[in-house]
Amino acid sequence: MKINTWFGVLDTSRAGEILESRLLSKDIRELALYSLSLRESRSNLPPEGFDLKAVALESGFAESPAEYYSLLHEVTLEAAKVQVSGALTPDQRIIQAVEALDDLNETTNSLSERLFEWYGGYFPESGLGGEDLARFIVKYGSRENVGSEDPLYPKARNSMGAKLEPADEVLLKGFAESVCSLYERRRQIEIYIEDSMELVAPNLKLIAGPMLGARLISLAGSLEKLAEFPSSTIQVIGASKALFKHLRARAPSPKHGIIYSHPLINTAPWWVRGKVARAVASKLSLAARIDFYSGEKDPSLIEKLETKILQIKTLNLRPPEKKPKSGAKPKKKRRK
Amino acid sequence: MPEVKKLSDGIFEVIKDKKQLATKNLDLGKTVYGEKLITVEGVEYRTWDPRRSKLGAMILKRFNIPLKKDSKVLYLGAASGTTVSHVSDIVSEGAVYAVEFAPRSMRDLIGLASRRKNIHPILADAGKPDSYSHLVEPVDLIFQDVAQPNQAEIAARNATRFLKKDGNLLLSIKARSIDTAANPKEVFKEEVKKLEQAFEPGFEILNAKDLMPYHEDHLGVLAKFKK
Ligand SMILES: C[S@@+](CC[C@H](N)C(=O)[O-])C[C@H]1O[C@@H](n2cnc3c(N)ncnc32)[C@H](O)[C@@H]1O
Repeated sequence: MKINTWFGVLDTSRAGEILESRLLSKDIRELALYSLSLRESRSNLPPEGFDLKAVALESGFAESPAEYYSLLHEVTLEAAKVQVSGALTPDQRIIQAVEALDDLNETTNSLSERLFEWYGGYFPESGLGGEDLARFIVKYGSRENVGSEDPLYPKARNSMGAKLEPADEVLLKGFAESVCSLYERRRQIEIYIEDSMELVAPNLKLIAGPMLGARLISLAGSLEKLAEFPSSTIQVIGASKALFKHLRARAPSPKHGIIYSHPLINTAPWWVRGKVARAVASKLSLAARIDFYSGEKDPSLIEKLETKILQIKTLNLRPPEKKPKSGAKPKKKRRK
Repeated sequence: MPEVKKLSDGIFEVIKDKKQLATKNLDLGKTVYGEKLITVEGVEYRTWDPRRSKLGAMILKRFNIPLKKDSKVLYLGAASGTTVSHVSDIVSEGAVYAVEFAPRSMRDLIGLASRRKNIHPILADAGKPDSYSHLVEPVDLIFQDVAQPNQAEIAARNATRFLKKDGNLLLSIKARSIDTAANPKEVFKEEVKKLEQAFEPGFEILNAKDLMPYHEDHLGVLAKFKK
């Protein structure tokens, strides 16, 4: 049985005897990097209760317990330093994942559209799009293969679409498979972001939801920077497009950062939306700070926010008397 | 002249004006979080604030703390090392494997560990013991203070992997990190039941007490494996 340890790879018999060992040299930096590389390995883990120190002494890696601990100390310290200094921080990994997700979305949508156009010539009545269409094509290829158990069977029989030649069918099926795997990949990244957010920024995730929270970190550049932003900045993060529009076309100055996609804000009545956004932004800022400085999850944050918003809403039951700038139809909405 | 009373191995009460919990300072002349240094008969003690440490509170609540000077400890949720520093004092010839997930806290912990040889810092998720199984030897005690909803599960996973047969688990459970709305007493009952029943081989609860007046809505638990 092979066993990975921070000082090398051991080959042991069932009884636990060391048959062979490949030990690393006692170079702290090298050992630390090796140890970091083992974090994600799923195979050759030491079994439960495995006595690393005993084996290190037995295999001759360390001459005494004192030497073992002294090396272990240096190595863990060095590894931890590598981890906290820069590129490997978990919030940076979230940012990479968010950016990968955006690229993936773009690609998936444009390939999906291409598939829709292409297959439309052969089965225009399918009514399918996106992932459903891709799965359909992977399953059947030509509409002639649709079985009578499929709800689309009647439409497939009577379709006005052209006949799909075998050569084109192979091509389309392969293309559809690629599209399916892109959707799959997208889900995988979303799950990764959710899981990472729970660990890296549980409070931000609680208030913003995993995706919005991850986007805020991404736009700020790091969790540390987000934690340093005043809540007025958090309110307009991601509004740069609107900002350019404002400068170019004298559109209203941007109040709408990406936090406006937050359900508490976009479901609020228009006349309190600004106040609600301010309340959400201030809780987001608090959440980011707790996540950065203590990491402890505080489920009461969301309750406090909801209470605050209820308060805002009860204090502002009706829209203000003054007409809004756009001159929209406040009459209809007012009752009594 | 201050007086010193030994409470258990490595844990003392220094009486100077008032009674104060303390450990023998392993890092002479240095403090970690603003605690006091008191020298009695040539020995330097570091006072231990139970309000800033669940373990400190457990000691004052008369938990039996199964630590000796050569104990090996797996500490989950090390934060910046307030409590870890006292554990390091106590197990002066042992080892503390200090697991913490937040990089910000780890920076402080690295500072502490670089002055204390028996602290081995590990930046990792305590919920994934596989990710540090290549580093950690079997231990006598697992101390856990992670304030996470799935803390019972985290404890069980680490215990199965790293706890010696006759080893102990010391756990601080924070009611509000599990359920904000529920009555803490109910939450504690649930968590204790989980520890006893939800995992193989399960834990035997040796002691469970709230940590008042030092920490509100916290339960301290001392347990050992049933096997
Ligand atoms: C209440 S604090 C611990 C305080 C510390 N025991 C003391 O007394 O000095 C909880 C710590 O657990 C950490 N933590 C939470 N979940 C964790 C996990 N899954 N793995 C590792 N550390 C975690 C948090 O980052 C935080 O620093």
